Amino acid sequence: MTIRDTLLANVTTSLVGSNISVSTELPWNSGNVPLFTKNMKVCYIDEQSEDVSTVIETMTVDDNVYQTETTLTAYISVDAKNQPGGMTEVISNVLNSRNSVSNVFIRECNMETELTEDRITYTFLYRFLSIT
Amino acid sequence: MSYINVAETGQFVTLKINADGFDYSSNVDVAFDGAGSANVVTVPALTEITLNATPGLFRWKQLDALSEYVVTTASTNSLAATVVLDETSFFTGANSTLGIFATTNNKTPTYFRMYWQGTTSSDKYVQGVGYLAGLAPVVTPDSPVWTSPLTIEVSGAFTEGTVA
Repeated sequence: MTIRDTLLANVTTSLVGSNISVSTELPWNSGNVPLFTKNMKVCYIDEQSEDVSTVIETMTVDDNVYQTETTLTAYISVDAKNQPGGMTEVISNVLNSRNSVSNVFIRECNMETELTEDRITYTFLYRFLSIT
Repeated sequence: MSYINVAETGQFVTLKINADGFDYSSNVDVAFDGAGSANVVTVPALTEITLNATPGLFRWKQLDALSEYVVTTASTNSLAATVVLDETSFFTGANSTLGIFATTNNKTPTYFRMYWQGTTSSDKYVQGVGYLAGLAPVVTPDSPVWTSPLTIEVSGAFTEGTVA
């Protein structure tokens, strides 16, 4: 199970009963418009990126200790003029979904917002570090 | 001139120890190549290693000379390394040689052999006997893998050798 799968499952569960639904699709572009912009009030989680780097270099390269940094981005776009109710809880739940990922030693999630016309887009940046 | 390059496969620095309780002082080679070979533990994941072979010094001044005189005295020898801890070598060991932790605690005389550049025929090594010391395992949330310094306090002299 990938980290994206874990996050997707957790976010889906935690947003049940809220005004935001969760899509299993990637936030691909439809007519140059990202799906999360086109479909408001839907949470999209992008594909994960991975970066493997050396944290401890040893004399024998086979014994090197590596860490894997996994990053993902999630998006939710809503009407900025009339935000759906319960957004504070939604944001909190999406941020806390990082805790559903195991076997990592760093679990971080930052949230940024961007206003475009009458839409506000919440962008969640997840970052996980594990030893491999 | 040829550098001692340890960065290529087959040329890595290797440290082996044997602390099986037998006295190999008459022929240390036996601890690694002969009867003791089954009890040899290769210390894995060295991140650095330093060989200290430092003669002691006795200095004196004379009224008829403008500079000091010096003679060397017995050497203080040791081998200092930093390792990423590996469960097998640290706790289990190999046959009669216990793990590094138990060997340190038990203060077992430990025969060691350090290969300068690989372990194949004609490769050079130094060996001797001493005691494991200097363990100070450390781990932090940001660096969640145990690492530790490890010192072999050498009793007597280093001896050089070449892999047959």
